[in-house]
Amino acid sequence: MLQTIDLTRRFGDLSAVDQVSLDVPGGLLTGFVGANGAGKTTTMRMITGVLAVHGGSVLWQGRPITAQDRRRFGYMPEERGLYPKQPVLDQLVYLGRLTGLSSADARRRAGVLLERFGLGARARDRVEKLSLGNQQRVQIVAAVLASPVALILDEPFSGLDPVAVEQMAGVVREHAASGLPVLFSSHQLDLVERLCDRVAIMSAGRLVTQGRVDDLRRTPTARYRLVLTGDAGWVRGAAGVRALDVDGVSALVEFEDAAAGRNLLSQALDRGDVREFSPVIPSLTELYKEVAA
Amino acid sequence: MTAPTRISGTTAPPVSPAEGTEPARQAWRVVALREVMVKLTDKSFVISTLATVALITGLTVLQAFLATRTETYTVVATSSASTMLDAVRAGASTLDDTVVVEPRTVPDDAAARAAVLDGSADAWLARADDGWVLTTDSEPHQDLESIVQQVVSDTTVQENAARTGVSVADLERGSQVRAALLQGDVDHAMAGEVVGFAFAFLFYMASLVFGYTLAGSVIEEKQSRIVEIIATKIPTRQLLAGKVIGNTALAMSQLVLYLAVGLIAVSFTEFSSLIPSLTGPIVWFVAFFLAGFVMLACLWAVAGSLASRNEDLQSTSGPLTIVVLAVFFGGLLFEGSWQVVASFVPPFSCVVMPIRLVQQDVPWWQIGLSLAGLVVTAALTIRLGERLYRRSLLQTGGGRLSMRQAWGADT
Repeated sequence: MLQTIDLTRRFGDLSAVDQVSLDVPGGLLTGFVGANGAGKTTTMRMITGVLAVHGGSVLWQGRPITAQDRRRFGYMPEERGLYPKQPVLDQLVYLGRLTGLSSADARRRAGVLLERFGLGARARDRVEKLSLGNQQRVQIVAAVLASPVALILDEPFSGLDPVAVEQMAGVVREHAASGLPVLFSSHQLDLVERLCDRVAIMSAGRLVTQGRVDDLRRTPTARYRLVLTGDAGWVRGAAGVRALDVDGVSALVEFEDAAAGRNLLSQALDRGDVREFSPVIPSLTELYKEVAA
Repeated sequence: MTAPTRISGTTAPPVSPAEGTEPARQAWRVVALREVMVKLTDKSFVISTLATVALITGLTVLQAFLATRTETYTVVATSSASTMLDAVRAGASTLDDTVVVEPRTVPDDAAARAAVLDGSADAWLARADDGWVLTTDSEPHQDLESIVQQVVSDTTVQENAARTGVSVADLERGSQVRAALLQGDVDHAMAGEVVGFAFAFLFYMASLVFGYTLAGSVIEEKQSRIVEIIATKIPTRQLLAGKVIGNTALAMSQLVLYLAVGLIAVSFTEFSSLIPSLTGPIVWFVAFFLAGFVMLACLWAVAGSLASRNEDLQSTSGPLTIVVLAVFFGGLLFEGSWQVVASFVPPFSCVVMPIRLVQQDVPWWQIGLSLAGLVVTAALTIRLGERLYRRSLLQTGGGRLSMRQAWGADT
């Protein structure tokens, strides 16, 4: 379990990250979303120790994190880069050695992982010769090379083609499934919704919400879609009903209580046929728009 | 969401406790090794090193060749001057072993003139009313001239002495001029100039070449953000130590290679007798070079860490370039008491003291004091540089940092 408690970072007068208490439980994929400048990267950089903490703390397994703990973290920075002029394999071996692997071990692991990403034949090429997508594949290999104890990935999916997205998603899922805390930031909300068990949403330096995706989508007041055969305009005036959106025969409504729902449905049946009456679960995108507004 | 199944054999195997336990404080070795390997596989580095070795060898061989090449002159004379011409031939072999004179007797002056004009002879020796004339075509031959001058003068003086009944020894007594120096000897002083220049130049070149590449590699790491990955794995102090140690090892190896090649080349020349007296100063130079280079290498790393892009290096390394230039010119230009003072002042001392050692005898305690001063300054500089480097390295946003910003920055 990786946690931050009231984590704060200021740049001059600006609080880039303001008292963020984020949970990244082991065994789950936590998606980290928020607009540009919301503070995701700054939070991740404080977790990895790249940036000094101005307030609060980072906890690993319930105690303050140490440099030794972080050494075994797999980290993929936002603006990625490796040594442009060094061959792919040499570079991975170097990073593996810095994590404490033996040279032979690092070489073997890098070989296996490169093969998996279809980059086995490019092992001797210099990094700058690879396409950006392939460089990103090498970067994820670097992050998972030394059997990390946690993964912190800043925008791992940005700029990847669909095949690469699936490969990347596979690696990330596997590591979560093996019990690691995995935190990754992304702008692709559909992807986060599809992949993640948990989501944390940041806005203007603050953590506005976090939790299981399913829990967050279950909003306190359920919404229903009502589709009639005739015009649905009359729904606006019904007692105990809040019409969120009325469009021709269709209406999106919230009820003050269960009785108001039953009431509306019987009124509708009195007026004619009811084609559809169903609860609506908001997508992550809708949820995000609401909380991050 | 369904529990994802782990696909066997696709992830890297887990690290067993026996693996991955190499402590982070050993990480500088891995970094240093990479620095060395990157350089050794860099074509331009290898080529420039080999080219320098070739240049040192080539220049020394050329020098030796020029010094020992023999010049053969055909000198003509009429029968009346043939005795003197024979004396010149004999004199050439004893006075200058690089000049050979081939005498040839011609019937008359006209034939002698013709021989010089058509190139079949290099010079014509003839008696004039008030002495002797050596006639050449259009260019003078100085080495031949000085031999002829000497031989004619000796012969004439002997003849004149015999005629007037005075001994040559009496005549020449007290007339010899010898060059003498209060300290050392002529050859040694000349070698001092050359070797002193070599010391200053080697330090200058190594500081700039390795300095720029070291700063460049720091910028590369900063610009590519790989430094963020590295910083999560090892302390930045280890990264700095590895980079400085790796580059120092390379610079020292290159220096020792150049010095060895230079000495071997010199051993084939007429200056080979000076080598024993140069060995001591050269060993000291290597020691001073080491301390001075490590100190500057740290500062070059700082110059790199203050920059965000290669374009910034020009300005962040400006003061350092001036220091390196000052040390170079200080080594060349300081003389007398200025030289003595500079030989104790870091960073000048790393070049000036070894130069003093070549040129004069320096007491042991002075060498020790100078080296100790340099080492202490280097240690302080490294501490200061380490702080600046650590604090500026991860400031990847925006442009270059000032020293003040870096000093006060919190990672």
